[in-house]
Amino acid sequence: MVENSGELKIALAGNPNTGKSSIFNLLTGAKQHVGNWPGKTVARAHGSFTHEGHVVEIVDLPGTYSLNASSPEEIVAREYLVSGVPDAAVVVVDAANLERNLYLVVQILETNVPVILDLNMLDAASSRGIQVDAAELSAQLGVPVVSTVARSSTGLEELKDAIVGVFDWEGAL
Amino acid sequence: MSAFRIDYGTEVEAAIARLESVIQGSPEIAEHFDARWLAVSLIDEDPGLAEQIGQLSGSGPVLRARDELLTGLRSTMGTSADTAIAGARYQMANDIVVAVTDTTQVRERTRTDRIDAVVTNRFLGIPIFFAAMWVVFKITTDVAGAFLNWVDGAVSGPISHLARSLMDAVGLGSTWIESLVVDGIIAGVGAVLVFVPVLLSLYIALAFLEDSGYMARAAFVMDRSMRAVGLQGKSFLPMMVGFGCSVPAVYATRTLENERDRVLTTLLVPFMSCAARLPVYVIMASVFFPRYAGLAVFGMYLLGIAVAMVIGFVLRRSLLPETNPMPGIMEMPPYRLPTFRSIWFHTWTRTRAFLRGAGSIIFATMIVVWLLMAIPVGGSGGFADTDVDDSAFAATAGFVAPVLEPAGFGSWEATGALLSGFVAKEVVIGTMAQVYGVEEVDEVEDPSTLTSVGLVFTGLGTAAVDAVKAVPGIVGIDLTDAEDNEASSSLSASIRTGFEESSGGHGALAAVAFMVFILLYTPCMATVAAIRHEIGTRWMWFSVVVQTALAWVMAVAVFQGGKLFGL
Repeated sequence: MVENSGELKIALAGNPNTGKSSIFNLLTGAKQHVGNWPGKTVARAHGSFTHEGHVVEIVDLPGTYSLNASSPEEIVAREYLVSGVPDAAVVVVDAANLERNLYLVVQILETNVPVILDLNMLDAASSRGIQVDAAELSAQLGVPVVSTVARSSTGLEELKDAIVGVFDWEGAL
Repeated sequence: MSAFRIDYGTEVEAAIARLESVIQGSPEIAEHFDARWLAVSLIDEDPGLAEQIGQLSGSGPVLRARDELLTGLRSTMGTSADTAIAGARYQMANDIVVAVTDTTQVRERTRTDRIDAVVTNRFLGIPIFFAAMWVVFKITTDVAGAFLNWVDGAVSGPISHLARSLMDAVGLGSTWIESLVVDGIIAGVGAVLVFVPVLLSLYIALAFLEDSGYMARAAFVMDRSMRAVGLQGKSFLPMMVGFGCSVPAVYATRTLENERDRVLTTLLVPFMSCAARLPVYVIMASVFFPRYAGLAVFGMYLLGIAVAMVIGFVLRRSLLPETNPMPGIMEMPPYRLPTFRSIWFHTWTRTRAFLRGAGSIIFATMIVVWLLMAIPVGGSGGFADTDVDDSAFAATAGFVAPVLEPAGFGSWEATGALLSGFVAKEVVIGTMAQVYGVEEVDEVEDPSTLTSVGLVFTGLGTAAVDAVKAVPGIVGIDLTDAEDNEASSSLSASIRTGFEESSGGHGALAAVAFMVFILLYTPCMATVAAIRHEIGTRWMWFSVVVQTALAWVMAVAVFQGGKLFGL
């Protein structure tokens, strides 16, 4: 599934207000470029980072609630995910609004792109008394789940490990 | 990893299976898409996708099969297929949530709920919103104002003197090169730097409002008022950003779902008075109404909003009728204390964008203005040694000036400032300083280089103290000495004389008309470029023509109307 180029292409997806941009900034640091999606007036940010000797390219997809093509943002996100370009998608979800966020996750899973779930804003969820079982979520969806708190950079290394772990999927490389 | 799939129920699954086999029979399509995904999405009645597929060869049978299957499903199930598919997905999401979350500890009313009960209250919401805006304006006018004066003073005083001394030392004193360096380059850089304190404080305030979660409430609170002008609450964010700079505001319209809302919001954004127009109001108001400067400036912002509402109302009933009034879903993120890092990140990226984008345009304009002022048209002076009155700049502005006479500011100086303001509003004050201030330069006593450098640093201290003193002023306590604020510089005196002359003794009225003109005409080249980029050349020209005409009509109305009432 993963081409043997040594470089991983990752799409970063998620609902608006999930801290997706914070995760993107934390992952890529200053190494990012902002432009437009070709032919669209939708901002396109991409960047890269190196982890354990692997180069990972990340494209920050616009924040959307679904993949139904009813806005330019959704069209851009959908077209990129089914284009065959990304090796995997990291979907950032807000632990405090899991149900609505999972709707998008379910749609992305249906595209058959390998998914890594980033369970973000766990601090906000637990301050509201919501406890999320990450291991059970991983079992239910059949995808790796990483817990993060973007505000304090918690879980960032684990997220990078999980992303680089895509190299080992399906016996690739 | 096994493929993920949702069971959509017998009827839908049968249709999906049927369509999948048709897709597999069209290799041109099957090679581009995952067959099951495509079948599900087509039965989900995704309009964009059907269009995209339609452009591939071999799509005919697939789309025909889809249409037949959809008709069949509608008659057997009684609901449309997309409702059934969305329902199955929600069911799946809900099942997973139930399995993985423990909500026994959930508190009924969170802190966010309690704050929202007040902040989004039907009666308190709008007053609280205006109070928040008022604090933001006071921060940008009073707190940043002190630093603005310091930057301005340091550039026009000690730094210019230092440059002159250096030029003298290398034997270039009193040549055109000295004039280019001091009156062109240094004045140009100064004109850019003067905005940094204002923009920094404005962007810090906006970043705080965004990151704390209040901005989403502001959009919610303003939703009703926005709908009154044919927009939705989401249009509020670009409008809000427009108070900082029209350029990012125009780009911020991308968050809106439909084309019509984007066009209308983009056309209205320039009426939100941007930060670059602020120093013009501040200077004009402090020259003509020092005691009511804050009120006059706030009034300009309100006027801009009022004009936007009227234009929005007119456009809604003419060129941009409401198409599909989809109820917007608005998300309220929980309140959070913003982190220093994220506020700084927002503030710095926006300020840097200004320095890169607008900064170079401002600088270039200042050099062009210097050049036009250096070229003699009449009189006896040579290049860079001519009286401003005899320069190419005065000739150009003088040619346009009569058009502005009915508004009370038909002098070549004021016209020249407005002309350069077409390029960027940030240069209006800079140009005024150049055209009004050129004769004063030599009257300033020349301190030694060492004291000059010292003055820059003691000045910074004074600015910091002034900024701190201004903070209580935000809540109405004035610690600063009123006389300090009264404009007494030579620029202020020249502006006063100039406006009194051009208006035949109605200087204050002409000043208001001038401020109204500044508020309403095309903000700057960069905004025009952004508008063209986002909504096309036709709307760009529409915006430029409407704004300029409106500015002239309103300024004339203010001046002539005011005279009628004996002001």
